[in-house]
Amino acid sequence: MGGQEKLLRDIGIVDFVLVELTEYLDTHPFDRNAMEYFNHYARIKHQMSREFAQKYFPLTKEMAESDKEWRWGMAPLPWEGACG
Amino acid sequence: MQDHLFNENCDDFSVAMAYVPWQYFDRMFDDLDKAYRIGTVFPELDKPFTGRRCV
Amino acid sequence: MWNYEKRLQFPVNIKEPNAKLAQAIISQFGGPDGELAASMRYLSQRYSVPYREVAGLLTDIGTEELAHLEMVGTIVHQLTRNLSMEEIEKSGFANYYVDHTVGVWPQAAGGIPFNACEFQVKGDPITDLTEDMAADGAAL
Repeated sequence: MGGQEKLLRDIGIVDFVLVELTEYLDTHPFDRNAMEYFNHYARIKHQMSREFAQKYFPLTKEMAESDKEWRWGMAPLPWEGACG
Repeated sequence: MQDHLFNENCDDFSVAMAYVPWQYFDRMFDDLDKAYRIGTVFPELDKPFTGRRCV
Repeated sequence: MWNYEKRLQFPVNIKEPNAKLAQAIISQFGGPDGELAASMRYLSQRYSVPYREVAGLLTDIGTEELAHLEMVGTIVHQLTRNLSMEEIEKSGFANYYVDHTVGVWPQAAGGIPFNACEFQVKGDPITDLTEDMAADGAAL
């Protein structure tokens, strides 16, 4: 697995944790233990997304600051796959 | 929300209603790559499909 | 409103096309218990739920179902790209191909187009959640 593929997978793992914790916290809004986990992984997700945008391409428009070319539009699309 | 209903006797519940036991968060899987592959970070929600009933 | 992330919720990298398999998988895209029905079910039911935390949960689940829809669409796309005319005819994909070529169109495996009759919205939270459990159980 190359660096780009590895980082994207790690972002996938961390965001999956966030999705799961979000859905749990929606109905358990006072569970401080779960909130601590959420806060921890949300910070990691943000750092990883910034690193991915700097090295490869922006995953969100918030990370798409551009000068020479429109980086958001030039980014590969997720359904292309690794062999796309 | 309805924590108080959790450990009560089934006979105390009204008939013809649906109930879902309350989930208590304790810990996530240590191996998050595994959690990502099986589709949940909660060990208590790891219910592989066997074609019959849940494990 | 929604935000989009340019990545799949779980990576999909299919190397060998398989049009026969694509015709089964497409039901998980636009079939009665597919991801489109799941997403529209949750995102439509949420308005009439009287508990904010549950309506918020339905929003987050409906959003996650859209991410599932994108993964399933990707699987169908990758299973049907670079097909030869011979493979299209041999695999029984010709009927679909006549109308949609290799576009991904929301339909059930039997060719029935996606429509809102795949799910129900009754405005009663217990009735709607019961339908959600039936649908989610069927999709497992």
